[in-house]
Amino acid sequence: MRTVPMKLYVILAAVVLFTFFSNDFGLVDIQKTAIILAVGLDKQENGFSVTAQIAVPKGTDRTTGGTSSVEIEAEGDTVSACIANIYAKTGWVPKFVFCDLIVIGAEAAKEDVFSYLNYFTRNKYMNDSCMLAVCEGKAQELVSSASAIDDASSLAIGKLFSDASVGSGRVMPVTLKDFSIAYYGASGSGYLPFVRAKTQEGSQSSGSGSSGSSGSGGQSGGAGTNEKVYTADETALFSGGKMVGLLPEELTFVFSLLHGQVKSGNLDAPEGNADSTITVLKDKGGVSLSMKGAPKATLSVEITARLCCKSVSSDVEGTAKEEISKELLESVGTVLKERLSALWDLAKESGCDLFGLKKSLFRSSLKKYAEWKDSLLGTVSPEFRVKVTSVN
Amino acid sequence: MKISKRQLFFFLACLAPLGKLVVLPTALAAYSKNDLLLPMLAQYLLQAAVVFCALLLAKRGLGLYELAAQTFGKIVAKILDTVLCAFLFYASLLPILEQRLFVQNIFYDTLPSLLAFAPFFLFAAYLMSKPLASFGRTWDILAPIAIFSLAGVLILSVGSADYAALLPTGAAGGSGFLRGTMSAFPWFFDGVFLLALLGKFNYEKGMAWQGALCYLAGGAAVLFFLATFYGIFQETAVNQLFAFAQTSKYFSGITVLGRIDYIFIIALSMALAFYCLLPAQAGVDLLLHAYGKPRYLPTILAVVLALVYFTVTSLADFRFEAVLKTVSGPLVWIFPVFTVALPPLCLLLRGKRREIS
Repeated sequence: MRTVPMKLYVILAAVVLFTFFSNDFGLVDIQKTAIILAVGLDKQENGFSVTAQIAVPKGTDRTTGGTSSVEIEAEGDTVSACIANIYAKTGWVPKFVFCDLIVIGAEAAKEDVFSYLNYFTRNKYMNDSCMLAVCEGKAQELVSSASAIDDASSLAIGKLFSDASVGSGRVMPVTLKDFSIAYYGASGSGYLPFVRAKTQEGSQSSGSGSSGSSGSGGQSGGAGTNEKVYTADETALFSGGKMVGLLPEELTFVFSLLHGQVKSGNLDAPEGNADSTITVLKDKGGVSLSMKGAPKATLSVEITARLCCKSVSSDVEGTAKEEISKELLESVGTVLKERLSALWDLAKESGCDLFGLKKSLFRSSLKKYAEWKDSLLGTVSPEFRVKVTSVN
Repeated sequence: MKISKRQLFFFLACLAPLGKLVVLPTALAAYSKNDLLLPMLAQYLLQAAVVFCALLLAKRGLGLYELAAQTFGKIVAKILDTVLCAFLFYASLLPILEQRLFVQNIFYDTLPSLLAFAPFFLFAAYLMSKPLASFGRTWDILAPIAIFSLAGVLILSVGSADYAALLPTGAAGGSGFLRGTMSAFPWFFDGVFLLALLGKFNYEKGMAWQGALCYLAGGAAVLFFLATFYGIFQETAVNQLFAFAQTSKYFSGITVLGRIDYIFIIALSMALAFYCLLPAQAGVDLLLHAYGKPRYLPTILAVVLALVYFTVTSLADFRFEAVLKTVSGPLVWIFPVFTVALPPLCLLLRGKRREIS
């Protein structure tokens, strides 16, 4: 008699464990679900505009693999209302689990972008490792554009943020989580990559269905659409959530060097009457703040590099040499110092605490932070330390 | 059936920390910001002293009911047991609600129906109908799972943490520290839980301080986890419910391997399913001890209690924040009365050491 309840308990336990640890039980109908790959956020006269790039199954005539997408745009008083409108237009339940890119339009970036990002920071099902970027013009146009190199624009832009790109020093990708930390932290400043789309000369989309249209949400693409290539080698500066400046390509590179994340980036510098390119193999950069006496920030860059190429021909023995000449080393040092100085000036003018000086001060001394938090960026003087070492 | 010293220490060092890894880190970050380690440390030191007192009480070899009965008589002992039992039922509510929300939010990517979690309460009814002393073996099994899982989550998380974010100490001030310490009380019922275990394990020499040390060792793991949690999320930590499922997802290998951290998260949640029911089990056990054990009473009591928990947690499903604010706000005083004051006061109870043959 005693064994009967025990068997019952075992069966119940099995049912419980199965139910407890199983995922979804078909709660999500994939046919009615919009897998959102990327989101574009724009400002409207009276509210917000959200463009969602949604992955859709490819037709069977397509022999190659990949991701096809359709772009749906909706407007509303809040981002959430826009998302609800997308649902209303399509009947697809929007899912952000696979959303890897949020693009903010240039107009929207002039306001506190957290009025746009609020929805995503609150959303429990949102992937907070997704990349953030600002774009030239409207985000809707960027997200809906046809890529020359990939099936969907978001996938092409995502490639710009790969580890290899970061190692090249040409891009400074930022995730939603890191941008939020910077915004809510002591600095209240941050940065995002600035994406531009350029029409690929002489190319038109093949009509593979890789892009859709805005508004009505139909999947169009087709011949006649200009294919785009994307760049993200500029960096938008933010203070209080508003875009306050833009780092050009060469300053983005030196900012990457300060972060110590360049592993195979190239840098041009004059050498005599010609130009030479060096490849950074090892990078150790950093920013420190000293509050002894007058506040002083030290921006240091220490790189080990090799000669990559020259703009003039050299003899065959010369092509075998990787060592950087003393003249070029000095020239690289001068270029880096000038760029560090330009970076400092641009950050200071914009009011962006790009180097996290306020954060450093907050962490080192609460008392001094309270004393200096409003005046630090205006009064701190910079010192630039550059050390360039050649291989061999 | 008795709980062995090893099993008891497994509970104190490995299982007791689990309940502090879900919502408490977020709550502490909200109250104490980057100083969240200090309230946790204060709580652990306080509770280790309580554990020491409760284990010292075990020297007498009697259960709480017998101790109270020998001091004040059976009626007072029954009242004491009943009141403590009511507290333990109440103490179990928040962990069960946490467990429910954790499963619904982490293991589902849309909001599931209320019934999706309902089978948990069948499991709860089963556990609560079992005598508490029989759970030593369960702790033997759960302890390695807990160690493996917590270590796994920590290993995957440490690389993403910026521990300098914990600086400067004292940023939240005295009020932040006090609010953090007070609000953490609902998660610390381990010392008073030991009162329900009195008489179910034999005291051995040095057990009191060894038990307290084991508890502090578990606390050290929790503190390390908390530091890692804040190091990863920093100012946004207040927005990260279900902490132990959040920290490991930034491990670089996950982009290649997928969410391998779910192995640890699921294992931890399995151990948590047992842990969150412990106070309720202890309450049922105390009640049965005080009022006798008719044949079907444990089962009936367990089923009724499971139904009550199901109803209450269903009603509180969308009111978790309000429940949390109430339990760790106006009603927080209930916890220190039972979890801090009661065990040392119990040392005043008279009681003869039982002769063990």
